[in-house]
Amino acid sequence: MQLEPTLEQAEMRRAVREFCSREVTIERLLDWERSGVGVDEATSRKVAGLGWLGLGLPAEAGGGGASLADVAHLIEECGRGLLPRPLLARMRGALGLAWLAPRSPTLAAVARGERTVALALDERDAREPAGWRTRLAADGCHVSGDKAFVPDAEAADLHLVAIGAPERPRFVLVDRRAPGVSCAALHSFGNEPQAHVSYREAAVLEVLEGGLDFDDWRRHQVALALAEMIGGMDAALAATVGWVKEREQFGQKIALFQAVRHQVADMGTRFTSARHLAWQAISRLASGSLGVTDFHSAAAWTGASFKQICWTAHHLHGGAGFVVEHPLRFHSERAQSLCIRWTPEAPALARIAATLLD
Amino acid sequence: MDYGLSPRERAWRDEVQAFIAEHVDERLVDETRLRGNEGRGAEAQRFLGALRQRGWDRIAFPEEYGGLGKTAIEQWLFIDEIETAGAPMLPLTLTSVAPTILRIGDEAQRREWLPRIQAGEVDFALGYSESEAGTDLASLRTRAELDGDQWLVNGHKMWNTMAHMATHNWLAVRTEPDAPKHKGVSMLIVPMDAPGVSVQPIHVWPGLRTNAVFFDNVRVPRANLIGERGLGFYYAAMALNFERLSIGSAGMARRIFDALVREVRVRVVDGRPLRGDPWVRDRLARLRVELDAARLLGLEVAIRLDRGEVPAAASSMAKACVSELAQRVADTGCEILGLDGQLHAEEPSALVKGRLQWLYRLAPMLAFGGGTNEVQRDIIGFMGHGLPRK
Ligand SMILES: Cc1cc2nc3c(=O)[nH]c(=O)nc-3n(C[C@H](O)[C@H](O)[C@H](O)COP(=O)(O)OP(=O)(O)OC[C@H]3O[C@@H](n4cnc5c(N)ncnc54)[C@H](O)[C@@H]3O)c2cc1C
Repeated sequence: MQLEPTLEQAEMRRAVREFCSREVTIERLLDWERSGVGVDEATSRKVAGLGWLGLGLPAEAGGGGASLADVAHLIEECGRGLLPRPLLARMRGALGLAWLAPRSPTLAAVARGERTVALALDERDAREPAGWRTRLAADGCHVSGDKAFVPDAEAADLHLVAIGAPERPRFVLVDRRAPGVSCAALHSFGNEPQAHVSYREAAVLEVLEGGLDFDDWRRHQVALALAEMIGGMDAALAATVGWVKEREQFGQKIALFQAVRHQVADMGTRFTSARHLAWQAISRLASGSLGVTDFHSAAAWTGASFKQICWTAHHLHGGAGFVVEHPLRFHSERAQSLCIRWTPEAPALARIAATLLD
Repeated sequence: MDYGLSPRERAWRDEVQAFIAEHVDERLVDETRLRGNEGRGAEAQRFLGALRQRGWDRIAFPEEYGGLGKTAIEQWLFIDEIETAGAPMLPLTLTSVAPTILRIGDEAQRREWLPRIQAGEVDFALGYSESEAGTDLASLRTRAELDGDQWLVNGHKMWNTMAHMATHNWLAVRTEPDAPKHKGVSMLIVPMDAPGVSVQPIHVWPGLRTNAVFFDNVRVPRANLIGERGLGFYYAAMALNFERLSIGSAGMARRIFDALVREVRVRVVDGRPLRGDPWVRDRLARLRVELDAARLLGLEVAIRLDRGEVPAAASSMAKACVSELAQRVADTGCEILGLDGQLHAEEPSALVKGRLQWLYRLAPMLAFGGGTNEVQRDIIGFMGHGLPRK
């Protein structure tokens, strides 16, 4: 077993942590939230310049050629440091493209940070890919349909659009500014830029092929969410430990109340177990040795743990952690929206039950 | 045992329901939801006017002061119906401060404040908490010193909700600096337009506004100290007691849950009715069980009040239970709604008007505010079960 990050991974984590503590200040988080676009140009350029968007892209396309585990370390730190969500969406988009079509001619521009990709997967009344109604025209060159809750849809240059198909979904790339593409912005948690997007006979730039099959692709995406959640819950836990050691009521640090200590202990236990389950799933996925329930256990437990940890963190912070200027609520918002999008508990549990019983 | 309502209670509940049917409509509910705590809009004023006309604004008053002579169970029925309907609750001025003034104020003070409160001329913000005095309220430091015929107030209050709209502050101040901390506090009424009062907004996660309020040599007439000097901590506890029936009410969680159920009944996902999903059914059923249980804890508080008891343990049970249940309703609701669950109340297409997402943001405050749940659990232990304190 090798449970520690490698030296290079540790070095990268340190660099990301430094970057986030310097650049992702609470004042900026509030500005980005108010702006409705989620991040400013200068910060986007800095992150692209650091090569993070292309870290996991194939070296042949000019990417960093990093493994899934490397990328997960990066994302964990981004989750901890509350890197703006559009930037995380762009990392996902870039990786999503590379995982589906490792030889895509578009990857080079994405690796250089010149073009960004948004994932247009979900549809309003469909949770299973089999229910997606977005279709490719008979000519194979145009796409029509409505995608919902697309993160970073308006700012991205390209949309990676999932096409519903009877056996398994297919994916195409569409220029966000192509005729027939229109976005309607949504007001969601923490003002994360998302939009409903309608495609009406929009021209297809590329049909994406040659990479992972859909289920595996989705697991890779969920792996990124797991890493982000671990980073977020670590931050919420650390903030809480710091706070209870500092805050005094009744003439003593609140950390001295047994009820408070127990809650911190439960947070720590939850975090430690979630981190192991998540990293076990990520590393086994990366090495192709995933057990049948590994992934579903990780999804169910990590998501629920992140929400639970945030809830307790809020409770122990009292009013001080409830003001909009406190970073805690950003973690709580991300906990819920990551869970909803990537790790809903019910389907994960249903799959585990099916493995046990069917 | 009979959990049915008595004929008198049933008649009262029917009357309240008929009133709600007449006066509560979608516009009022939407306005209440959208305004949060930013004051009463035109619809709410109209609603409060209708309540006043019936004298129901005095529901929490004792009979000898124009109250309705309603039992605690009847008051609980009233709160439950109003909250479940999504109408604005009566202001704390009427349900918490006024009954306290009635009990502790002298005749002149009652004559001075009560008619003005009833006429809607006086609206209080509740100024208890400070930055360093939250759960440990008795350690508050805002002080008032007697200077001739006036109190001179200096210090600051945190989380002074409504202070930016209130006419007066119901302020806990330290008047006896040398007394033990629980015995050195008094209750003072401070007009918000007095020179030296300044208000700074604080915005909190669920989109509500509260305030930090600063008092810099604020002068207040001597007669504005209500009740006896040094008993303010107990008066604040008394005022909080009057809120017990509403703090422990499961009405809001129930209303949002009911709206969620209505949505689930009609929602089709992946071509199938969402209500057919076994996990959705299971979670909703569980929540319903918990809501039923929580509602009866509220009833327990009312029963004990009617018996003349101080229902400390019962109201702690209701408060801790309802606040934590609200969080589960929010979380489960967001999960059931899927990606729609993350939409903000301001988003026109948000299902259940974004209430689940909002409740997710509000619920933490329900647990640490109004007496944090650890303290509630302590109270249940030693008041409810006689566990030793030390
Ligand atoms: C939006 C909002 C509106 C508010 N409105 C008002 C208002 O109008 N008027 C007003 O006076 N106040 C108001 N409050 C203040 C509210 O009552 C306090 O937040 C509450 O009393 C908790 O105090 P605190 O925030 O300082 O938390 P703290 O007292 O610091 O408590 C934080 C946590 O410490 C732990 N803790 C503390 N003491 C103990 C103990 N003895 N045993 C075990 N654990 C303990 C608990 O986990 C607790 O949750 C408001 C607060 C908010 C956020």
